[in-house]
Amino acid sequence: MNRYQVSSESVSGVSRRRFVKTAGAAGVALTLAGCGGGGGDDSITLTADQQYKNAEDAVVQALHDAGLSDDIDVTIQAGDFESGNRREQFVSTLDAGRSDPDIFMMDSGWTIPFIVRDQVLNLSEELSQETLDYVNNDYLSAAVQTASHPQSGDLYGLPLFPDYPVMHYRKDLVEEAGYDPEGENWATEPMTWQRFAEIAADVWDQSGVEYGFTTQADSYVGLSCCTFSETMTSWGGSYFGDHENLFGPIGDRPITVNEQPVHDTIRMMRSFMNGPDADNAHPDYPKITNTDILEWTEEDARAPFTNGNAVFHRNWPYAIPVNFEDGAFDDADYSVMPIPYAVEEGEGSYQGTGGSSHALGGWHLTINPNSDRTDDAVQVLESFANESVMNTIFEEVGNPPPVPEVLENANPDNVGPIGNFLDTMAVAARNTVPRPVTAVWPDQSPVVAEEVHNAYLGDKSPSKAMSDLEGRLEELEQSV
Amino acid sequence: MSTDTDRTSASLLARPLNWLETRSDAAFAYLLLGPAFLLLAVVAFYPLVQTFRFSLRADAILSADPFGEFIGFKHYVDLLTGDALLPQQFLDPSFQTPVLQQALFVTLAFAILSVLFETAIGFGQALILDQDFRGRRWVRVAIIIPYAIPIVIQAMIFYLMFSTRVGFATDFMQSIGVFGSNPLSTTSDAFLIVLVADVWKTSAFMALLILAGLQSIDRQLYDVAKVTGASPWQRFKYITLPLISGPLLVAMLFRTMDAMRIYGLIDATAGCQTVPSMTCLVVTAFNQTRRWASASAVAFLTAVVISVIVLLYLVGLRDSESGMT
Repeated sequence: MNRYQVSSESVSGVSRRRFVKTAGAAGVALTLAGCGGGGGDDSITLTADQQYKNAEDAVVQALHDAGLSDDIDVTIQAGDFESGNRREQFVSTLDAGRSDPDIFMMDSGWTIPFIVRDQVLNLSEELSQETLDYVNNDYLSAAVQTASHPQSGDLYGLPLFPDYPVMHYRKDLVEEAGYDPEGENWATEPMTWQRFAEIAADVWDQSGVEYGFTTQADSYVGLSCCTFSETMTSWGGSYFGDHENLFGPIGDRPITVNEQPVHDTIRMMRSFMNGPDADNAHPDYPKITNTDILEWTEEDARAPFTNGNAVFHRNWPYAIPVNFEDGAFDDADYSVMPIPYAVEEGEGSYQGTGGSSHALGGWHLTINPNSDRTDDAVQVLESFANESVMNTIFEEVGNPPPVPEVLENANPDNVGPIGNFLDTMAVAARNTVPRPVTAVWPDQSPVVAEEVHNAYLGDKSPSKAMSDLEGRLEELEQSV
Repeated sequence: MSTDTDRTSASLLARPLNWLETRSDAAFAYLLLGPAFLLLAVVAFYPLVQTFRFSLRADAILSADPFGEFIGFKHYVDLLTGDALLPQQFLDPSFQTPVLQQALFVTLAFAILSVLFETAIGFGQALILDQDFRGRRWVRVAIIIPYAIPIVIQAMIFYLMFSTRVGFATDFMQSIGVFGSNPLSTTSDAFLIVLVADVWKTSAFMALLILAGLQSIDRQLYDVAKVTGASPWQRFKYITLPLISGPLLVAMLFRTMDAMRIYGLIDATAGCQTVPSMTCLVVTAFNQTRRWASASAVAFLTAVVISVIVLLYLVGLRDSESGMT
């Protein structure tokens, strides 16, 4: 039989000898191909947002101008756009003890868990006393708190920029409806939710646009950390009593979600979506939007506003330049104002509650303790704590300075569209609510989002949802 | 000198090759399967054993090492009694947690319903495709197209259909009283959307496998049946069904294993918080929290549940092969 003839007995034309040789050679080649790679240069690497990568030359030059030695080169790597994905990357990097990157840009919403696990460098032991004093005395204190160890108070992260939401609105529609935002000083004098809702309902009715108000009410991390937290605070409510408890002690602080101000917050939001006559709605507030917001995060809520289909819109300042660019708005038909409130500041049930409240977001710089060049990385952070660098970042990247005084003194002409609203930004910066970030917050956050969302949907009454939430939060508090 | 060296190395290589050629076919087959088994042991069994070991340790959310002291089967007890400290429950026998918020029931309900519908629809499609008719080739293409769509694109299609911003399907479903106003946020509505999305896509897979089985049936059996006066139902019951049962069970086994691991479709449509499958629970616990020991216990339990179901299928297959069905 011909050796290449295929029959039922011989199913292959390839001899065993040739098969083993070929397979062996392929295996060796693949093994060799897998080797090699790695390596890197001598610069300090910083994983940050894509915008920082885009402005790398200007930012690095500003660091050198601020006194960073020319011997220290800084390379900026673009991290994942999505905050959660970036956290997972950093968890992998630090758990594996990798030395690269040297500096992390960490979300203030999840820096503390890394701090309590001692996975980032203690800056209180590394930074100069002058810089530590500057941070402790002049930086936004709520931002510094989310970069410090909850027990020892040591600084582990250098706030890079804070982020706080504002209420964006269509000035043209509001003025056409007979209101006078400038005369009534909406930019710096927060209004009550009552007045806000009446205006929104009126302008919505007169203008005929699709929504009177858009915000984020999906069941996601942003609901628990931010939109619900700030609205509840403006009603005088709180997750854990006085705001001094926001960062602990875990297991030894009151759980205060099942109380009237928190129920009223939910009832007001249900009224906004379903009208005052709906089940578990607040009878004093009109309908100004619909249940679409229950599926919306930031970009979902922004789209109708930017497209001209909403009167009011709650979002972070990143939306300001986007609205100017994509929405083709100008100063005449677009403006921002502080988030409204329900009870006056200081009249809430707990210390730190009441008044216009803005969830504090933002990012910190932390140092990888496994870095081969921690001393140089510390020098880079020393330079970041410099007014000229903050201004460069504000101008080139668009992120506001972490020092309120620098923000207030910024040149409006150099910072793009945000420059029009520095007065509102300053009011928001003075009225922030830090996220209740502890080591157990990653467990608590989805539970808060789920129960609040259940109550918003109407699957549970506000008291039932908050009672369930109280029990689940307590269980998690006691688990540590 | 160099010639001697070459000769020595050539004989060194030739010796095992010669040995190889003198083995029996069975021995050679096992030898070739060896690396595959080794690879399977490294990438499947070792992680499974490690996962089990991790699951016996406590969660340590305050330390750099996420695994704490040895606590035995506590995580398993918590998971099976509804006391787990995870965003969603694996199983809550007290049923204080709604059924469709318990990962085990969500996954089982999804697997049973999806495989049932996919098998029924796939069988129907295969029976049609097995006939000779004009345009059969085009009908085959039309049936296969959904299966060719990547899973995330498929999920995005259904997400966008029901999205409050651009979707058109919510209003229609609401008008006929099936859905509420926020189907992607409502557990029962979202479960239905994920189920329909999966059936839409994967019925084609079942149709293809069943068609292959149908076409392997000897046509003369039908001719004999016709001559003896068998009705179409009798031909289906006594010829088609017994002969197709083997391939059908294999197809159902594949689909069930896939359905029990459902994750991507959920993640890209309603999200794991709304429809928490078992895999969702593992991913959520691992990515969003640092309860990695609990996540390991869920992962191992998931593997156990899938194994039990596969075993049931294998028993069915053994009976089928021995002609008992």
